[in-house]
Amino acid sequence: MDLFMKASLAGSALLGLGALGRYISFQVESGHPSKYDLGPASDYPAGSSTPAPEIPALIIHNDQGFKALSLVCPHLGCTVNVTDEGFACPCHGSRFLRDGSLRNGPASHPLTSLKVEVNDDGQLILYMA
Amino acid sequence: MHRYFFLTSFLLFIASGLVFWRQNQSLKPIAITTSITGKTEYCLTCHADIPEISPSHPVETFGCVLCHGGEPLALDADLAHSTMRGGSNPSDLSVVETSCGGEMCHSGTAQANRDHIQRVTTSLQATYAGAIAQVRYAFGAQPDLTARMGVYAIDGLAAFDSAAESSPALRSFAVNCLTCHLSSQPLEGKNYNRWTGCSACHSPAPRTDGTQVHKLTTAMPYTQCNACHNRGNYSLADMQFHPRQDAPTDRLHDYYQPIAVFTRCEYTLDCADCHTRQEAMGDGHIYSSKKDIQYVRCKTCHGTPDALPLTHIIIDENDLALRLAFLNPVIDLKVGDTILMTDKGEPLWNIRELPGAAGETPTYELFSKATGDRFTFKPVMGSTCQQNPNQPQASSCHECHATQR
Repeated sequence: MDLFMKASLAGSALLGLGALGRYISFQVESGHPSKYDLGPASDYPAGSSTPAPEIPALIIHNDQGFKALSLVCPHLGCTVNVTDEGFACPCHGSRFLRDGSLRNGPASHPLTSLKVEVNDDGQLILYMA
Repeated sequence: MHRYFFLTSFLLFIASGLVFWRQNQSLKPIAITTSITGKTEYCLTCHADIPEISPSHPVETFGCVLCHGGEPLALDADLAHSTMRGGSNPSDLSVVETSCGGEMCHSGTAQANRDHIQRVTTSLQATYAGAIAQVRYAFGAQPDLTARMGVYAIDGLAAFDSAAESSPALRSFAVNCLTCHLSSQPLEGKNYNRWTGCSACHSPAPRTDGTQVHKLTTAMPYTQCNACHNRGNYSLADMQFHPRQDAPTDRLHDYYQPIAVFTRCEYTLDCADCHTRQEAMGDGHIYSSKKDIQYVRCKTCHGTPDALPLTHIIIDENDLALRLAFLNPVIDLKVGDTILMTDKGEPLWNIRELPGAAGETPTYELFSKATGDRFTFKPVMGSTCQQNPNQPQASSCHECHATQR
């Protein structure tokens, strides 16, 4: 088999492998990540309530430490708005108090508390699940 | 031999190149991952220009596929649309349970006020059971006016089968007169233009040029109701539909039943300002006549010479009235407000009693659900009305208050 033939076969094989790899590695854009790095914990000073950037969650830093509330309405999943009195769902009118507890339906559950922690590098890590 | 290998390799190379080129030329998908399902769909790749259907159904929460069906990841239009439900209308009653149902959506419990589909599918507007009973009775096919059949079988009603009817009139009825109910396609003509299913009432009809409006609303103007209720009459004499022959140019005359008389509020307000959810959508029970389910009358809002209309004080933030007012915020309803209430306890959430001195005849304010316009009115009690309290029907009120047309 001459060199040209070998090169042709190798090229075909590479193309085939490439196509196969592309097929196997294809992924529908997955849903949302389950873990976010929110940056330095020092960006969230004590006494603050800060909406997480691009994430439907509120980071609360009080005298008990960090906590986070999901801003996803437990009724049907709309993102609730932060109000003076707490939270209000713009879709169906459910409202929640500042601690996330249910004020009125149609939701039947409070806002979900999310796990949040400061890692060894001082970064605030939010877990959505 | 080598030549064949070379040729095959070359052709494969060209073919692969073409595939990659085609892929790069194809649509770049616009993905959303809906918060309600957590699944990704590409519908917005082609449909990003369609406006959100309502504030209660935001696309980032619901997406498109949950209601419409379809193939969420297909970028080919035919494939993407191949499994859609109900064509452009997923609320058609044939598919509504899949599209709009669900315990947290529109087929939950009556206690949670989420039994919309159960109520609608058993309602007279959907089953047409009352009209079928009337006509079958008129032509001797049944001994009384009790509803026995609907356009489909449900909840004790059998499906009306014209082939099983011996009367030619009933067979004509099936052919010519079953165009009103919520699952029937409307007659041709812009006066009859409407959707089927939920959208018959809650979505604007397709425009005369065939384009559609992607909208769900509880702010329904009277014209929405007129698509069915302002059309003309079905005649039992020839079993044909006879369209209205008049051409009304004002609101007073642009109302259903040209021969009827109306008071000012009946032709100033919209139907939905007074008539309730249960009247229009049913209450889950089978009825034999519209008269049995349509119960709001003049006295519901105006009371009688001896009694004020029924009222309800909102003391709970979960009150149904607040929820309904949230969906159509024409009124700033709040806890502590007193609203009117029907005999069956349905809240007339758009009609509020104004604060007044104790013992003073109250004044009420009504906000039009379609326009937001505000009207005020007083009850009959304390007025000069001489109505016999035992005759609270609208016809009695019309004796003095009807407008000549």
